[in-house]
Amino acid sequence: MKIEYGWTGRLLRIDLTERQWSVESSQKYVERFIGGIGIGLLIFLEEVRPDIGALDPANKLIFAPGPLTGTLAPASGRFEIISKSPSTYPMETVTRSGMGGFWGPELKYAGYDALIVEGKADGWVNLWIHNDKIMFLEAEEYAGEDTYSTQTRLRKELGPEAKILCIGPAGENLSRLAAILSETSFASGKSGFGAVMGSKNLKAIAVRGTQRLRIFDPEGLVKISREIRRLSSKDPMRNWTSRTFIDGERQKEFLNKYREKNTSCFACPVACLAYLKVPDSGESQSHCLNYYYYPMATEFYGHTINRDQAVSDSYVLANRLGLDTLNIAGMVKFLKDLYEKGRMILDDDLPLDKVGSREFIQKLLHMIATRKGIGNLLAEGAARAADHIKDGWESCSRYFPAYGSAEHESVRKYLGVALLWALDSRDPVVDHHQYVHLSIKYQQFYTDPFKLSNEHARRISAKVFGSEKAIDHSSFEFKPEAVIYAQNRSAVINILVLCDWIYPVIQSQVTEDRSGDTSFESQLLSAVTGHSFTEEELNQVGERVWNLARVIMVQEGRTREKDTLHDSYFTDRDGEKAIPKSEFEQAKTKYYDLRGWDQDRGWPTVRKLTELGLSDLADKIQQPKLGPLND
Amino acid sequence: MSLDFSDTHFRHRRTVTGNPKVCTGCRTCELICTLSHEGAIHPARSRIYIKANPLKGSFVPIVCHQCSDVPCYSACPESAIVIERDFGTVLISEDKCTGCRACEEACPFGAIRFNEEKGKAIKCDFCHGRPECVMWCPVNALGITKFGERE
Repeated sequence: MKIEYGWTGRLLRIDLTERQWSVESSQKYVERFIGGIGIGLLIFLEEVRPDIGALDPANKLIFAPGPLTGTLAPASGRFEIISKSPSTYPMETVTRSGMGGFWGPELKYAGYDALIVEGKADGWVNLWIHNDKIMFLEAEEYAGEDTYSTQTRLRKELGPEAKILCIGPAGENLSRLAAILSETSFASGKSGFGAVMGSKNLKAIAVRGTQRLRIFDPEGLVKISREIRRLSSKDPMRNWTSRTFIDGERQKEFLNKYREKNTSCFACPVACLAYLKVPDSGESQSHCLNYYYYPMATEFYGHTINRDQAVSDSYVLANRLGLDTLNIAGMVKFLKDLYEKGRMILDDDLPLDKVGSREFIQKLLHMIATRKGIGNLLAEGAARAADHIKDGWESCSRYFPAYGSAEHESVRKYLGVALLWALDSRDPVVDHHQYVHLSIKYQQFYTDPFKLSNEHARRISAKVFGSEKAIDHSSFEFKPEAVIYAQNRSAVINILVLCDWIYPVIQSQVTEDRSGDTSFESQLLSAVTGHSFTEEELNQVGERVWNLARVIMVQEGRTREKDTLHDSYFTDRDGEKAIPKSEFEQAKTKYYDLRGWDQDRGWPTVRKLTELGLSDLADKIQQPKLGPLND
Repeated sequence: MSLDFSDTHFRHRRTVTGNPKVCTGCRTCELICTLSHEGAIHPARSRIYIKANPLKGSFVPIVCHQCSDVPCYSACPESAIVIERDFGTVLISEDKCTGCRACEEACPFGAIRFNEEKGKAIKCDFCHGRPECVMWCPVNALGITKFGERE
């Protein structure tokens, strides 16, 4: 396979310990795995021992855009970060966490398909990548700076065109909830990778690229992009204008009052972001989740004094300190429950009786970022903290279904989502939006921003997933099939790399039958790279990547027993129905079966791997016996 | 260099104008501009670009104003800058441009850029009447401003 278009053909490898760098060919990675998480996972399989800890210098941090990143393809600003995660629970495991914004395209323009960061610097450094010029800049003075001032200073130092990734105090202090941030609110938050960057003494990575990205068929790309834009032109999140999801009226009021302007990720026609400026608080770009996590966690504005400032602080401070908002939301609910059940007493530094107030969120965020006082425990994440609190899991399990990730959509209510959770390594909702959305729509959740009738939803479900049952979450019927399709498609998005909010385009508000077109990804990839892919072929690459991810999980000790949720999800609780355990297990058996995996252990079979062109991985399908860790 | 002020340029010129209040900073304009002019994605060569300060939520589209006093025209020592008749577009003649970058310096808006490979100045050519960036802007932050009516 010739790499001429879309890809740059080069990987940049940075060794922080020796402060050296090298460039190598990306050919063997993109041939089988295209890009994004495909590159990252293969590097992990080949180069990192499964027992390496997340904060060990031997852990690697891989920043991987894909062949579509930085092209005209709508919503192509994303890139993926792959590393051993400090936030996954109970074990630190290899996982992914993507980011939108402008950094990924800039890395492509600098001439790299991926950036691999290894080792640990002996003092704080900033990395400066200006096309072929790589520099390690001393950053002792940057230590302790928040993400905004770090970027402001770097922009002065390196020029306003530099695109910057950085960590805040949370990452420096190795908080397991630390995010990597770019600009005001583009974040890789899910997996605590800010702490990995902090453990390497790497404060920021600035990139400036001025090179050409060749496109095989510019006219084709233009035509396909135009059609995708047409189909997504009435997305409910477009310019963050419609009443969406939770608390529509309050949200609208807040937005109207404080919206400075609409903003966007790279090349995105939906632009789900707004730049908000709240007097006496701060300014930040924000989007739905970022904005509503605190009011949502405290059941919609428990306190009314400085209510707007409390909401604003919750995301502005989290962004400045470099923290993941979704896991903080889970943390707030967890602490509230602990306090109400008398499992945690009032701490002078953390006013648990004032959950919902401005004072509480300010103190909580600062504590988690600086590890002061009880913050030292909370910075381990809710799941690890619960291990150290008497009956802590009674509270924690309500909000953290599995793998240390906070619940995102109701896992109990949507059985398909429960299966997604059990079979992933972290919260899956954030990169399986299309499946989850269609399910939620079908269940008539809160408001219906998609204006999609059940009849339409059923028809789309039948067309895309193969059965109307895929989105009917009253039983596990057809859920394994739907989950496999959703996972493979999510893997496709994560290798190209596109935004899962739009892709796959399974529904649209502008077509008559409300259906979209799921072949856009393969059309785009063919037009950009000149290698023709059909939708089925690309789905198979997605399956290949998912199997690769599973091989790594197996090496880390993943078995069928571990593919599950916290026990409490299988019992009734506060009027919420239990997930039926035996049917859940049956669904898993079906899932392994359809995947071509061993039913008893949940491991990919040699036959399946060979079929997917992964026969070289067959001998890795075992949990390796490892010698002492000092090679 | 003397200017003929009865030239069409001054009677009915057209320009692409950007509204920084509406611009979301998505950079689609840069992509479509380079795709149509360079046949590749190459924002550093884009004839329109977004000057961004994301930390202040500021995104300003920078593009040639096709000025009426044409400072680039006056600055060019090679007479490489010409004014096209139909839309009054200020164009750089690639054959004549020697890459001295005087026009780049003279432009008050930073709208003239430089192609190092070719050693030539580049600027907005109004896509000969159908500016792609205007058609592709997802939020209509770009528009066409007309000065005077055509005869």
